[in-house]
Amino acid sequence: MAKRLSSVDDLNKLRETAQSELAERAKNIEVKVHLGTCGIAGGAKFVQDAFVKEVKSRKLTNVVITEAACIGPCEREPVVTVVHPRMGRVIYAEVTPEQVPNIVEQHLIKGQVVKEWLLDLESPTFKLQHIRIMHNQDINPQSIDEYIARDGYQALAKAITKMQPQEVIDEVTKAGLRGRGGAGFPTGTKWGFVRRAVGDEKFVVCNGDEGDPGAYMNRAVLEGNPHSIIEGMAIGAYAIGNVRRGYAYIRAEYPLAIQTFNNALAQARQLGLLGKNILGTNFEFDLSVFPGAGAFVCGEETALLASIEGKRGNPRQRPPFPANKGLLDKPTTLNNVETWSNVPQIIHKGAAWFASAGSERCRGTKTFCLVGKINNSGLIEVPLSTPLGQIVFDIGGGIPDSKKFKAVQIGGPSGGCIPIGHLNTPVDYEAVTALGAIMGSGGLIVMDENNCMVDVAKFFLQFTRDESCGKCTPCRAGIPKMLEILNKITQGKGTMEDLAVLSELAEMVGSASLCGLGQTAPNPVLSTLRHFRDEYEAHIIDKHCPAAVCQPLFKAPCQHTCPVELDCPGYVALIKEGKYAEAYKLIRQRLPFPMSVGRVCDHPCEVKCRRAQVDESISIRDLKRMAADYAYEHGVEFVPPMKPKKQERVAIIGAGPAGLTAAYELAREGYNVTVFEALPVAGGMMAVAIPEYRLPKKVLKAEIDSILKLGVELKLNTRVNDVDSLLKEGYKAVFISCGAHKGDKMGIPGEDVEGVYDAIDYLRELSLGKKPKVGKRVAVVGGGNSAIDAARSAVRQGAEDVHILYRRERRDMPAIDEEIEAAENEGIHIDCLVAPTKVLSENGKVTGLECVRMELKGFDSSGRRTPSPLAGPEYTYPLAVDTVIEAIGQRPDTSFIKDGVKVAKGGTITADPRTLATDKPGVFAGGDAVTGPKTVIWAVAAGQRAATSIKRYLQGKPLSIFVERDGYEPIAVPQIAPTEEEVKERARVQPAEIESKERKASYKEIVLSFRPNEAREEASRCLRCDLEVGGEE
Amino acid sequence: MAKPNAKEIAPAAAGRGTAAEIFRQVQAAIEENRGQAGALIPVLQRAQTLIGYLPLPVLQTISRDLNIPLSTVYGVTTFYSFFTMVPRGKHIISTCMGTSCYVRGGERILNTLQKELSIEPGETTKDGVFSLEMVRCLGCCGLAPVVSIEEKVYRRMSPTKIKEVLSSYA
Repeated sequence: MAKRLSSVDDLNKLRETAQSELAERAKNIEVKVHLGTCGIAGGAKFVQDAFVKEVKSRKLTNVVITEAACIGPCEREPVVTVVHPRMGRVIYAEVTPEQVPNIVEQHLIKGQVVKEWLLDLESPTFKLQHIRIMHNQDINPQSIDEYIARDGYQALAKAITKMQPQEVIDEVTKAGLRGRGGAGFPTGTKWGFVRRAVGDEKFVVCNGDEGDPGAYMNRAVLEGNPHSIIEGMAIGAYAIGNVRRGYAYIRAEYPLAIQTFNNALAQARQLGLLGKNILGTNFEFDLSVFPGAGAFVCGEETALLASIEGKRGNPRQRPPFPANKGLLDKPTTLNNVETWSNVPQIIHKGAAWFASAGSERCRGTKTFCLVGKINNSGLIEVPLSTPLGQIVFDIGGGIPDSKKFKAVQIGGPSGGCIPIGHLNTPVDYEAVTALGAIMGSGGLIVMDENNCMVDVAKFFLQFTRDESCGKCTPCRAGIPKMLEILNKITQGKGTMEDLAVLSELAEMVGSASLCGLGQTAPNPVLSTLRHFRDEYEAHIIDKHCPAAVCQPLFKAPCQHTCPVELDCPGYVALIKEGKYAEAYKLIRQRLPFPMSVGRVCDHPCEVKCRRAQVDESISIRDLKRMAADYAYEHGVEFVPPMKPKKQERVAIIGAGPAGLTAAYELAREGYNVTVFEALPVAGGMMAVAIPEYRLPKKVLKAEIDSILKLGVELKLNTRVNDVDSLLKEGYKAVFISCGAHKGDKMGIPGEDVEGVYDAIDYLRELSLGKKPKVGKRVAVVGGGNSAIDAARSAVRQGAEDVHILYRRERRDMPAIDEEIEAAENEGIHIDCLVAPTKVLSENGKVTGLECVRMELKGFDSSGRRTPSPLAGPEYTYPLAVDTVIEAIGQRPDTSFIKDGVKVAKGGTITADPRTLATDKPGVFAGGDAVTGPKTVIWAVAAGQRAATSIKRYLQGKPLSIFVERDGYEPIAVPQIAPTEEEVKERARVQPAEIESKERKASYKEIVLSFRPNEAREEASRCLRCDLEVGGEE
Repeated sequence: MAKPNAKEIAPAAAGRGTAAEIFRQVQAAIEENRGQAGALIPVLQRAQTLIGYLPLPVLQTISRDLNIPLSTVYGVTTFYSFFTMVPRGKHIISTCMGTSCYVRGGERILNTLQKELSIEPGETTKDGVFSLEMVRCLGCCGLAPVVSIEEKVYRRMSPTKIKEVLSSYA
């Protein structure tokens, strides 16, 4: 069938023939079904069958169905490319056999693409990629003719007929190709070593043992572009000289790759492109596949060569390097799949072409596997030195389910993690190494807030421990010892000494191991210790896993994540049984403000809820509210156990949630508590910043009253001017919880005119009934909850045109999603990527804002893009407004703090984060005054910590980092696991809301409480994670 | 070259052919690869594909015919995770525990399988139908979490979905 090519002329003639065949074929509509391993797993073969069947049944003669390789968008498999002679190329994604008749009808017959099913090739996901290695993924990998039509084997022809071997090496060196297996060693240099080595038999070997979990770029090229590797190896063999045989070591876990590669070899041999007298020259070279047998260590150079020799894959000492003594002790070059695949294009198109992508020291492109917690997971190809943030957010589309990005693991088990503060890092060998990671072969595993970095380090050590060959002691014995320590830590038994030992072991194993596996095994540990030390410390000191992953430390992730560790599964279970009163009592044992918190909390528990993996998280907050509202309406009383009265007096500055909670707990302990509050009302932000339609004053007052009922003295309208004087007056301890009520100013010219308010001042005036003047056209500057609260309040005061100006993008806004949506539903405009530069005024009253449009540049240390004003008059515009409300940030007013208590540069009070102790004995501080603006539940948690610390201080005991909650009667919680039926997918129950026409017109509370049957239904969705037995090795 | 007793090779799973046939094919593999540097590993791979596992008599035959000490053959067999000296089930369930699959919940799927089949990774069910293995990365990370049974790759698995897959093999 195929005629042997005995000259370059023959090759060119075959190319012509193949090209004209393809050109003929292209006169038809080409339907290319992508049949990589993932495509087949997704059912692509069934899709192919469906196309064949449908085209046949519709008797279409102008359609050709072919197969192609994997083109990368794994998340959207199966994909099908359709190339229409007049309409061009489109790609359908997630194609099912059921959709095929539609596509045939609409597109192939009627000539109209089915837009909803297409991949958006104009999106950054595709536009930011630079395809070179993957350029042949859209042709049939089983057809050597198609490869030749695309200039396949032209580079080999050029090399062996027009270039000297050394010239070939020089070209590769000039191009700057660096090893793509991970180490980045210059390929031309390596070939030079082998060429100069003494010996008349040398080898070229391809390392296709891609063992890094999370990396499969090589598999895609082996399956999709095998000839590029064969051609590359042949060119390499010629350049080095005395090379007649080569091996492609392909791991056994890639059966399709082995099969495709063997097919390609057979085809190449048939055409005489492998074997003796290639293309009529003296050059002789052949290549065979050596399948691996399941050993990660065989990706290491010397272990791989030992494996080909039929031995155990034990690495050996180097020197001697394989360049001098490699396979069978002969000079050998071992290069990665992608390195080989780059070679033909470098020879065919030249070194300058290759260097035109990438950066000076890292030239060319690289394929990466972007996987893990990422929206567009798949195979991508970008120029080296592309910033990491661009890859994760622009190409990858960010994190699914709006979770927060945490880190990218790069380099597999030999690599490290790059956290959020380094998103501008260009992905190249040197920059990544400087951050304590390695580039490795190209697996990029994205992790979010629900991944525990200690657990990740443990995972990688388990892997390297299993794959260690056992030859050298540091690796064989050192890695299990490190793992032992990590296990201790994730089980809550770790100590700070363990961390010191862990670091020491890591250094030792890294420097004393024989081969790369052992030398790099500690990297994940060292890297996570460097960037996430606080997570290790949380596990050790607080017995807390911030990501709620390490099961031995907790029962249910929701409870573990709640700042006050509220027994969420407990009260949800009680609600399910209709025991609302008990649920209320259970909640009250940890939370004095359930009606309020049940309305305004930003529910970190729901972010961790495991039900979200089935359908959606449980409405933990709304269920809490229901139980509390029910108790209130039915007069259920909660009487906390009280201890006998004591002598000591405690002063609390600030009657916000932190102060009132501390007061509550200390009163229970029997202490005499006085709360000083500068404002005419108690409640802090709950009373004077959160508007009525979210938290009715009546509800808040009822909860505050129940605290005061315990005998707490409240002094309103009383501003404290000096902490020392309180101690002199006889208060034995003081808790400073004055919150953060001072709004930050924008700092732009013209700010100090009438009609420009600070949001917190505005909301406070409104809450106190003072009716601040608001016009018809309002601009609110900022993107947090205060901005939304101010905007929605302005609407209720009669403003007709309200704009929220935010300098970043909508998804960066810190406000709760539900609130942002509610604002939009009320007709508020959210103008993103806009910032005011000047306040315009007339006669001392504001008339407008001069605004500038922003663009987003590189990433800052918070992982968000830095907004930067666009230059040019076309980007500035005036916004006519009669009211401006600034909501860009708050800090505490610490003017009353004189000596002894430290105040940090940002204006917050310095206190120990766990004991809340300040430098002054007997003085404690917590809540927004210490952390800066946070949420109510964190303030409640601070109040409980303060109470524990003050109690212990007054009793002369050392301070503790754990909150003590004594004296409560345990409440029995039903121990029934959910049924099969209950676990099945169903929608989250939504609470009812008042009529939309009622909303904007009044301050009536918008969201209503669950009705009892709704609550029971929602509660029955709970998976009762607290009942699971925490299994750990 | 002494001719080994056909009794020395005992095919574990039914349907793999008679002992004599299998023995012949193993011999053919040995002949094909004889003289090549890395002959042992391809021969072991062929033998395991034919028999389903590598019983000691087979290793002894290969050792004798390739003239490689039995200790070396044994060393290579036990080094590579693909080789097993213990018969495996009719269907081998490989749970991927690569990073991407792990990050997306692979462990929970393994736990479900352990519970459903009452075996640990590396073991086979009493009726010889299923063997459970942990695999480090099948290379389909975009479809995580992944389970493969023979050549079929099941993507985006969950504890519920894997139970359905199991019942389809019943």
